[in-house]
Amino acid sequence: MRLQIKFAIYNALSKALIIAAFGAALPIVVEKVVYNHIDKRLIARSERVLKIIQRGGINDIIAEQDCSFESYSILKEEFVAIRPILSTEKTPPVQIIKNEEWVIEGENMNHRIIRKPFIYDNQLYELNIGEGLSTIDQLKSTISKFSLYMMLGVVLLSIFIDLGFVRILLRPFNRIVTGKLQPTISPTSFNFTPVPSSTYEFNQLDHSINEMMQKIRDAFLIEKEFISNVSHELQTPISILQNRLENIILDEKVPEEVTFKLIESQKTLSRMSKIIKALLLISKIENDQYLKNESVKIVELLDEVLEEIEDRLQQRNIQLVKQFYDDLQYEPCNRTLMFTFFFNIINNAIKYNKEGGSIIVTTQKTETNFVVEIKDTGIGIEESQIKNIFDRFKRLNQSSAEGYGLGLPIVKTIAAFHHIEIKVESQLNEGTVFKLIF
Amino acid sequence: MNVLIVEDERSLSHEIEIYLTKQSFNCDVAFTGKTAADKIHTNSYDFILLDLGLPDMDGLELLKDAKKSNSEASFIVITARGEVEDKITGLDLGADDYISKPFALAELQSRMQAILRRKHGLKNNTMSIHDFVMDIQNRTVIANGQSINLTKKEFDLLHYLGLHKNRVLTRMQLTEHIWGDVLEDDYDSNYIDVHVKNLRKKLAAHGSIDWFETVRGIGYRVNA
Repeated sequence: MRLQIKFAIYNALSKALIIAAFGAALPIVVEKVVYNHIDKRLIARSERVLKIIQRGGINDIIAEQDCSFESYSILKEEFVAIRPILSTEKTPPVQIIKNEEWVIEGENMNHRIIRKPFIYDNQLYELNIGEGLSTIDQLKSTISKFSLYMMLGVVLLSIFIDLGFVRILLRPFNRIVTGKLQPTISPTSFNFTPVPSSTYEFNQLDHSINEMMQKIRDAFLIEKEFISNVSHELQTPISILQNRLENIILDEKVPEEVTFKLIESQKTLSRMSKIIKALLLISKIENDQYLKNESVKIVELLDEVLEEIEDRLQQRNIQLVKQFYDDLQYEPCNRTLMFTFFFNIINNAIKYNKEGGSIIVTTQKTETNFVVEIKDTGIGIEESQIKNIFDRFKRLNQSSAEGYGLGLPIVKTIAAFHHIEIKVESQLNEGTVFKLIF
Repeated sequence: MNVLIVEDERSLSHEIEIYLTKQSFNCDVAFTGKTAADKIHTNSYDFILLDLGLPDMDGLELLKDAKKSNSEASFIVITARGEVEDKITGLDLGADDYISKPFALAELQSRMQAILRRKHGLKNNTMSIHDFVMDIQNRTVIANGQSINLTKKEFDLLHYLGLHKNRVLTRMQLTEHIWGDVLEDDYDSNYIDVHVKNLRKKLAAHGSIDWFETVRGIGYRVNA
């Protein structure tokens, strides 16, 4: 997930949380305030009623003693009720205010009620004054709704603003990531132009990345130069020795036994030269010194490799089975490297095969990929050793076949260069399958 | 044939000189770019073997200059760098061929002869080995009026042996000529024997091949 979006989500959530808490608390506060007002009003009214009773007597209000009185407004929002309390009733002689359902003309309505006992003419009465709560409930729900809409609005607005702001804020950071780091395949192609920013941390980051890249690039160039120099410096003495041996062998005065030894020495020299070439090849591929701008037909290339390698099949009396079901126009690639890639794998299948064995080369399209399978009936590899076969200078089978142990490391390097996946399955004494997934 | 060997490694230069002198070339050597430039200005050569890695001068620059003053000469560029770009630039600048270190002297000689053949047109374009006539241009072999169908490798093999007739070519020299560019992971492979066997079988069907000799433990020789 992108940093910018994470920021926006975090901001939105934190705001939503604050507003939600506010929204939850608001109705309670409103209720408290409103009740406080009503209560004051109720107390004032009850005192007025009691004054009227003291001045004019209760008989003005209640027709007969021991009778109840009740009066209410048309909408039953307010009422005043006085009733005598019988001595048998146990009512605490104190004033209370509470919410209660009051039945008016058979209709239950929620009211805020003040209940006040008073004594008149040696008779204990109870005064009830109520005020309807339906408006209050309405007020509460209105406030809740309002705060909900408010919350949604603020959250949306804040997401919008935050996205914009964070984008501006993170612009230098994005420039570093997408403009500098992502397109860099090799340290030599790195863009060292500083990214302008007023944020201290981004400047620091950009500066550090540039500095590190500079170091990597220097090391890379030194390595490249080193490899080139080493190969030059080593190939020249090898060349001298090889040519000298060649000249000595040509000399007819040299006895035969010496000639044999010279030829062996030449082979050793050639081995040395090939190891250097192989290492040079691997490091050149790893350093991206090969172009990847060609296009090959895989089946055509396989045919070419198989033709090149035909003599080896013949020598070991190995039967080759081609099962080319599909073809692939593979691009971009490096043709020479792709040739070496297939050559080394098939050469391996021959080298570690049994005399008179067979090799099956299959090309096939699957749902998602193009797969080349090279299956041999050779000596196989132990399960635990499969992971090691691509390591440099590792020779697992001390069989008759000899090599430098660089054939498969080259294969691995070329595969990585072209992003080809290699899967190896093997059964000891049964054979090995190389699956190349394009 | 006058050859100038431009190579800063004296030992290497010396070995090349010994070999080519034996093959009846007149050799001259230069160890620096400057002496090379002087010699190229004053003398005329048929071949200039030019190592690109000179201590005092960029080999490619020297090649450019030498092409102007010695336009008749054929140039073979020698390099240890093996850089593809060098190869392309060298050939672009008019080098006739390109050879990377280490190389076999026999290979160098065959490259020189191939250049000669190209330069002199059709005259030298066949090679006779006893009853067999090789047409280099069309890559065919004819014996008693009949054409023999050889593979590319078999043809190259016979041609290479024919070029160096009366001399033993080791299996390694032959292998390097046939598979020059293929980076081999085996160091004791005798795949060349397979091709020699096939080649002999094909040739023997059309005439005697007593001249095609196996030199035990060393390699092969064509006697003429």
